[in-house]
Amino acid sequence: MTFDEKTLRSVIEEVLKEMGGSSAPAAAPAVSQLQAGKMTLTENGDAPKGVAPDEVVIGLAPAFGVYQHETIIHQPHDKVLREIIAGIEEEGLKWRLVRVYRTSDVSFIAHDAAEYSGSGIGIGIQSKGTTVIHQKDLPPLSNLELFSQAPLIEMDTFRQIGKNAAKYAKGEAPTPVPVRNDQMARPTYQAIAALLHIKETEHVDGDKRPQAVTVSFN
Amino acid sequence: MDQELLMKQIVEQVMHAMNNGAAAPTAPTGKVTAANYPLAENMAEKISTPTGKPFTSLSYDKVISGEITAEDMRISPETLEMQAQVAESVNREAFAGNLRRAAELIAVPDERLLEIYNALRPYRSTKQELIDIANELDQKYGAKTAAGLVREAAEVYEQRGRLKKF
Amino acid sequence: MKSKRFEVLAARPVNQDGYVKEWPEVGLIAMNSPFDPTPSIKIENGRVVELDGKRRADFDMLDTFIADHAIRLGNAEKAMAMDSLDIARMIVDINVSRKEILDITLSITPAKLTEVVGKLTIVEIMMGMTKMRARLMPANQCHVTNVKDNPIQIAADAAEAAVRGFAEMETTVGIARYAPFNAMALFVGAQAGRPGIMTQCALEEATELMLGMRGFTTYAETISVYGTEPVFMDGDDTPYSKAFLASCYASRGLKMRFTSGTGSEVQMGYAEGKSMLYLEARCLAVTKGAGVQGTQNGSVSCVGVPAGVPGGIRAIAAENLIAMLLDLESTTSNDQTFTHSDLRRVARSVPQFFSGTDYICSGYSATPNYDNMFAGSNWDAEDYDDWNIIQRDMKIDGGLQPVKEEDVIKARNKAARALQGMFRELGLPPITDEEVEAATYANGSNDMPNRNVNEDLKAIEDMMARKVTGVDFVKALDKAGFSDIAQNIYNMLRQKVAGDYLHTASIFDENFHVYSGVNAPNDYHGPMTGYQLSDERWEQIKNIPNAIRPEDI
Repeated sequence: MTFDEKTLRSVIEEVLKEMGGSSAPAAAPAVSQLQAGKMTLTENGDAPKGVAPDEVVIGLAPAFGVYQHETIIHQPHDKVLREIIAGIEEEGLKWRLVRVYRTSDVSFIAHDAAEYSGSGIGIGIQSKGTTVIHQKDLPPLSNLELFSQAPLIEMDTFRQIGKNAAKYAKGEAPTPVPVRNDQMARPTYQAIAALLHIKETEHVDGDKRPQAVTVSFN
Repeated sequence: MDQELLMKQIVEQVMHAMNNGAAAPTAPTGKVTAANYPLAENMAEKISTPTGKPFTSLSYDKVISGEITAEDMRISPETLEMQAQVAESVNREAFAGNLRRAAELIAVPDERLLEIYNALRPYRSTKQELIDIANELDQKYGAKTAAGLVREAAEVYEQRGRLKKF
Repeated sequence: MKSKRFEVLAARPVNQDGYVKEWPEVGLIAMNSPFDPTPSIKIENGRVVELDGKRRADFDMLDTFIADHAIRLGNAEKAMAMDSLDIARMIVDINVSRKEILDITLSITPAKLTEVVGKLTIVEIMMGMTKMRARLMPANQCHVTNVKDNPIQIAADAAEAAVRGFAEMETTVGIARYAPFNAMALFVGAQAGRPGIMTQCALEEATELMLGMRGFTTYAETISVYGTEPVFMDGDDTPYSKAFLASCYASRGLKMRFTSGTGSEVQMGYAEGKSMLYLEARCLAVTKGAGVQGTQNGSVSCVGVPAGVPGGIRAIAAENLIAMLLDLESTTSNDQTFTHSDLRRVARSVPQFFSGTDYICSGYSATPNYDNMFAGSNWDAEDYDDWNIIQRDMKIDGGLQPVKEEDVIKARNKAARALQGMFRELGLPPITDEEVEAATYANGSNDMPNRNVNEDLKAIEDMMARKVTGVDFVKALDKAGFSDIAQNIYNMLRQKVAGDYLHTASIFDENFHVYSGVNAPNDYHGPMTGYQLSDERWEQIKNIPNAIRPEDI
């Protein structure tokens, strides 16, 4: 069993606390402190639209690395980001980070990133780990590559995602990262995924444009 | 207040258009009903393609020879109207309304139809852009019901903050 | 000391599933939430001014759409004044006809519908389904996908599924750009197996419509609607854009249904503190108001959410019943994994399987689950014999029948060869004899050789730019010497000209004769009425190949 009721309760409580709800039951167990990320993310106002054809923009969901620090299978966000960046750099391209506030939907986040990317290629990533490679001319809910089953995304996949995004940006046609499928991911993870997404969605701000973000890894 | 009045007018227009031609329980003779269904078997001679070819003239061999093309293999407004009447005869008036709205859209080319659909998605269009689309549907294609739906959307999107933002 | 009994129980599959306690404040409750609105309607001058406790000024987009389009106002105040318990009792009363029920239920609000079905036990919900589904005879739908998006395997699996009895088939993609190949492989495979099967490809909305317009598919299903406004926006649509989309499909002679399900709003982060079932009732009202003929519902891909809370599986059956109470074609999910437990997954399907619905599964995985790109179905290809024997045990028609191995091999081979020929004639990357052979005998994509994915994707881009349509499939198959399959594809395209299959709950038989809620309406009103298994159909269902013949002993 990958999660238990206790974990769920603590997640729900956090959600409720952040919602300003005072209805959390008195008997609830103490909220566990999530592992602090080994990186610092700094926001620098509205992100500019890129013009450099050799860049890939990575769009972070509202809570990524700030209010949540690991994916659904406990991959630390700083490591995830390092892998994606390493993948892009291996292909000799530049990268830039934006945080998308107007939605927590991963397809829209990726599409926004693509629209801000000089190459037209963007990556969107949710706190729970769901990731999309997008191209600005595609419909928002379509994609170049979709990694919908967050529990199946390991570190090497994140690096592959970075590499492939960079290859698309170079005008190449990379072989898509092999799709993985596990029919038992839903029974095990769906309820917790819902809670993590609620937590992400709490930080959505529909009127805020994508923000420029710089990262320093500690 | 003005806006609400306008809204009300639009709603009434749409409701009227949607109900227009709705069959009373005792349908006048000449209306197509469930008894005629399936039309492909019972009323084949009354069906034709939007390109004017009788349904009964369609054949496999003509497709192979190229005499019949993809453009011919489409439904016509008259056929959708007959299907709408069938739907009404079994008390499915909402569905009939959809078929009538669809009949109006047959004339809109595929690419334009996809563009209009995308323009109706949230945060895609300004109010004026939606009104322009409604006018285009209305004036260029005679798609009155569909135009009414787009106008209705323009009002509701404005009220709910779902028009184009950035 | 640890109990050995508890040790054994802890290791059981059922204890690997995730469960959550109810939490009504965030919408983590299946039905009967204390926060659900009290049913109400007020009409002034032919216009709804209050809906389920909300004044018009406070309406969100869904309220406005439902108030303006979804409720028959003529009878609404009278129907809303009825006691919900009385309506619930009428649903299970064989002396009250389906039509009499619809006269009430088409005139009531989402909160009222929720309250009515909330009075029913699971068995009563099943009785309601038996009476209220639109079509006389039940049918079934399958998924045909694989993790490699291998089109030859899709064609072969579709052909086998056709022989096994499915009336509709759905594919989707691992890689979105593969969609045209998957759609055409499904179309050809299905028509190779049994003429008259409808096929679809689940994609992003505009792309899905485009494939339908091009004649790659004959219907559509994944037109999602949601029960709260913010989730609707994240789904990149509004009730108005979806209503317009519905008309786009009909304008091209394409059948379509909407899809929705309990749990999606919680899953997507905005349940607004309402029960899953109430939000689903709003989805169904939007579906009705858009003038769509039917729905795929029953939690669908969000099944893990209601399944994790108490009464969640009952709520799923209840939402199917609400669809039927709105006179919608009911395509009842049973299509997604939600449990490690074989016992739980059978129990979850009993209401729809035993009562019969327009499409019991939407869909049943026609491949092993490792190839199911909807993240696994509740039933898969390795359960075919279980499904058949449960039909035989209970004397029910779940839409499938036992088959002979040689018939299946023949159908798979023919479909694979037809696709090979069609690819050749359309100038697409070749399908080798080795691939045809592998697809003929494969269980899943582990048994298939790899294709050159990049070459396929490039060819697809080129094919779409060349504006290839379904008519070109007919010509290519004819040229390749598969004129019988070409004829079937032609006949499916021809149906779009007549539009008979646009109607509620349509299916085709092998002669392209349509059966729908128009000419084959459900007329159940008690024992020995409604759909009865014919002797011929019962022979088909009961004759499993591995039953011992008494005379042989």
